[in-house]
Amino acid sequence: MNKPLVALAALAACAVAAPALAQSSINDENQVLLSQIQTDKRAIVLRGMQLPDAESAAFIPIYDEYQAEQKKLADRTIAVVNKFAANYDSMTDDAANSILKDWLSLEDARNGLTKKYAKRFGKVLPATKVLRFVQIENKLNTVLATQAVRAVPLAQP
Amino acid sequence: MRLLPLAFALAVTMAPTFGGAQELELVTDEQILLKQVMTDKRAVYAANLALSDSESRAFWPIYDEYEAKVKKLDDRFLALVNEFAARYDTLTDTDASAMLEEKMSIEKERMALKQSYTKKFAKVIPAKKALRYAQLETRIEIMLRRDVYGVIPLAH
Repeated sequence: MNKPLVALAALAACAVAAPALAQSSINDENQVLLSQIQTDKRAIVLRGMQLPDAESAAFIPIYDEYQAEQKKLADRTIAVVNKFAANYDSMTDDAANSILKDWLSLEDARNGLTKKYAKRFGKVLPATKVLRFVQIENKLNTVLATQAVRAVPLAQP
Repeated sequence: MRLLPLAFALAVTMAPTFGGAQELELVTDEQILLKQVMTDKRAVYAANLALSDSESRAFWPIYDEYEAKVKKLDDRFLALVNEFAARYDTLTDTDASAMLEEKMSIEKERMALKQSYTKKFAKVIPAKKALRYAQLETRIEIMLRRDVYGVIPLAH
């Protein structure tokens, strides 16, 4: 298992375990892990894109903006998972509805972010390379998401 | 659970002969596998949602309506993958641009469907069960995507 996966699995596990531990230390730990995941992901994306220098110079600043927006979504994800963990043993329908609403809103925001940045990359890269970027993102995100969803138990029926 | 091997089979069957001259003639196989995956998904929900009789009567017609709409999006995605395979060696920026547009459009419609139907489910079954359903749906979706994306090579 490579480093980003370890980091994300740990992040998800920490988030689920949050109510049992001091919240501030867990939040600090989450931020360190998130930062590590983003650094590793950036390296994988840059290696995978194989851009010549001129394209790379145009791509990287936009990619870093994209990562900063992704970080905000990751923080919102951690907040939703913490809310789920806090309500897990005595989940009311109101709490479940609120978590569902937050979760769907997050998924929508993730879709919107990819679309927004694909358009921006399309202004500085050929479309075949934008397609390659979206493919790399999709691959990485599904691998990371697999670890994350496994770490969160299902709501009790 | 039979879903994983099936998802893998679907992904492998979909794995196009990139770089080869052979035209893909897998549409029938893809449809059979897709139908099997959908049948298995239904069984996963039936086994895991603990629906009462009255909840079942309300849930399943909406679920079947949802899956029928998702199937149309899956068909569009399979067509897109096959088109990518057919053009892989000589992919132009115009092709890539059109494919990106189609992929984004499929994802937008998929998200809208998911939002709309999760809300419908939450009106006819307890929200806790709707949340459990959404978690299962997300897990299955991610497994299938991971397998499918894993066999599609990067554009070059």
